[in-house]
Amino acid sequence: MDDRELGLDAVCAELRRLPDVDSAAKARVLIAVAAERARDRESAERRRAWSLRLRWMSGGAALVAAALLGVVFLRPTATATAPPVASAPVSPSAATQLASSDAGALEMAAQPVQFVFSAPSAANVRVVGDFNGWDNSKSPMVRDASSGLWSTTLLIRPGRYVYAFVVDDSVWRRDPRAVAAKDADFGRPGSVLLVGRPPVEGVR
Amino acid sequence: MRPSRPLRLVKSTPEPVTESGAELTAERNMLVRAARDGDVRAFAALVDAYYARCLRFALHMLSTRADAEEAVQDTFVRVYRALPRYEERQSFEPWLFRILANRCRSAGARERRRAEVVEYGDVPDRGVPATQHDSIAWREEIDIALGALPDDQREAFLMRHVEDLSYEDMSAATGAGISALKMRVKRACDYLRARLTEVT
Repeated sequence: MDDRELGLDAVCAELRRLPDVDSAAKARVLIAVAAERARDRESAERRRAWSLRLRWMSGGAALVAAALLGVVFLRPTATATAPPVASAPVSPSAATQLASSDAGALEMAAQPVQFVFSAPSAANVRVVGDFNGWDNSKSPMVRDASSGLWSTTLLIRPGRYVYAFVVDDSVWRRDPRAVAAKDADFGRPGSVLLVGRPPVEGVR
Repeated sequence: MRPSRPLRLVKSTPEPVTESGAELTAERNMLVRAARDGDVRAFAALVDAYYARCLRFALHMLSTRADAEEAVQDTFVRVYRALPRYEERQSFEPWLFRILANRCRSAGARERRRAEVVEYGDVPDRGVPATQHDSIAWREEIDIALGALPDDQREAFLMRHVEDLSYEDMSAATGAGISALKMRVKRACDYLRARLTEVT
């Protein structure tokens, strides 16, 4: 059956017309996908942190076990009284990590970061980035009527983040006053934000 | 109440062809590979390449533009999530349309579309020139006829005659057999031809 011969050419031609595309709707697609990507990264980070923690724990347990065995092997009569854990040999790197954990906790405390963007004629401006899962609804900015500047202050934990401003729900702009991100998501411009002590990789 | 405007055939301008089909397919396959390997720019380019077509399909399957845009957005998010599992031996288009068609089906569009058909007599005069009136009336007739089709027939008809998918690709996209799809398309065509009495 050749269904090209069914006499509906004009109908098909009409239906094949491509609709007008709303650029804001298309931008929302990319924002939604960027949010998905940010969630992926976040869960990957979490998995990596857990695996590191587990490695430390298993490493520590092995060291304690080794210390116990050493004691048992050298002084068999002392098995009834377990040696103090503190006497177990600890690797310098692990010791440093343990000693700095309190300082690390302090360093991980969220810090206020103010975002400012000039868009006098915009109806709304939002900041999106790794820190808010690229969620366009999370961080709306407030307009200062006299200057036309939009601003908001967010509490962000130390680290490196990529962010951008979304103007009127459709136009994606990078922060002109910040370093441009090389890894701009989805071909859209982004800027780099460093909060607290920069990570080892530094600014890319 | 149905309008008594005569139907007139309006020939649409064919879409300009700028690249050969093979070149376009090769380029898109490259984009898909790059996107699957984590290149976000390639994914953005895929969205650019397919957004309008996906929206066209969703607009024909769903009753409102907002629903259609939401379905397309959700489709691309699902495509992004599923890309690591995408195998190159599959064709991308049927894979994309499978996700889109599933999303459109689950939106339960048919009831909303029926509701629109009931209210058809209340469509306001849009204040446009006579020639455009005819064009709009023709388009509305098509939309109504299309909306009256069962979902599976409408979907098959659109995939075959609007999106130009082969029956093999349609089978991959819908999970239905080729014979069943041919029957759906035939029934849809028979219905549309009977319903849309063409007046030249």
